[in-house]
Amino acid sequence: MTVQPAVVSYQGHYAGSVSRFTAYAIDLVVSSAVFSLALAAISYGVHIVTGHNVNWNRSNIVVAVLFVLWQFVYFGYSWAVSGRTFGMAALGIRVVAADGSVLEPRRGVVRALVFPLSFLLFGLGFLGILVQREHRALHDLIAGSAVIYSWDARAARLRFLARQADLAPPP
Amino acid sequence: MVNPRDRLRPAGRRNPVEAIAQQVTERVVDLLVSALDVNELAARIDLNALLDRVDINRILKQVDLNALLDQVDVNAVLAQVDLKPLLDRVDVNDLVSQVDMDALVERTDLGAVIARSSGGMGTEALDAVRSQAVGLDQFVDRWVQRLLRRKQPAPEAPPKLLPAQVEP
Repeated sequence: MTVQPAVVSYQGHYAGSVSRFTAYAIDLVVSSAVFSLALAAISYGVHIVTGHNVNWNRSNIVVAVLFVLWQFVYFGYSWAVSGRTFGMAALGIRVVAADGSVLEPRRGVVRALVFPLSFLLFGLGFLGILVQREHRALHDLIAGSAVIYSWDARAARLRFLARQADLAPPP
Repeated sequence: MVNPRDRLRPAGRRNPVEAIAQQVTERVVDLLVSALDVNELAARIDLNALLDRVDINRILKQVDLNALLDQVDVNAVLAQVDLKPLLDRVDVNDLVSQVDMDALVERTDLGAVIARSSGGMGTEALDAVRSQAVGLDQFVDRWVQRLLRRKQPAPEAPPKLLPAQVEP
């Protein structure tokens, strides 16, 4: 595994499609896992207190509404507070205002609210990430946001070189 | 120091005429020297022309610099140097920007220090995943630009994060 020298100078640039979709996939897995764990914990609590078993049916409308609300809280809170979700932090990307300044919490919440719009029409809203010049999806254009690389690739490059130097036999 | 009159005195003792001549000469020289304005004379000397005729290298070759430096108390000299204005004139950022950090890390123990202090397998894996993702981003982007036949390069970063403002 190598850190490519070519990526060293990309900090602050618009993030591309692979990084963004990978981050979103991680977020879906994490948020779903947390949601399932929460439901399991609630079931266990109800069983301890009342002795009744609660089975959460995925097709249950209450579960579906709770899941959508949870998704909004997960993404909205993350974007409003820090401009990044867990998946975005893992991939080293963050949401900023369209001009590159720190995203205002209000814009983070709006972004989470309009995020589902990008799923409409077979996900055409996401096409902007591929074809728009600034890689901005529909929800980015509405919320006035953009996604950039925020990880310190230069430090990563130095870490990589340091590891190589550490592994190399002494002269 | 050489006194130009020394050579005449022994001769004067042998011959009374020469002794008189010597006394006359001494008197004339005394009068001449007292009449001369030595400072004005020195001011008229073209030192540059004089120095042009001097072979400095030849003189320097004869100087034993080691012996000279042995007599110099370097600490005393340094103690008199005011380093602050000297350092104020040094552009440290420019100096640091000229350091090849990659080469520095590869050639010194600094690499091992960084490797030990900057996380383990987790950090390494994250670095690798991010790096690969960026590489794929660039690959996909290049193909999309080709398919769309765009000739104008897209902006790389939001206005406030353009290269001049991007963190190093």
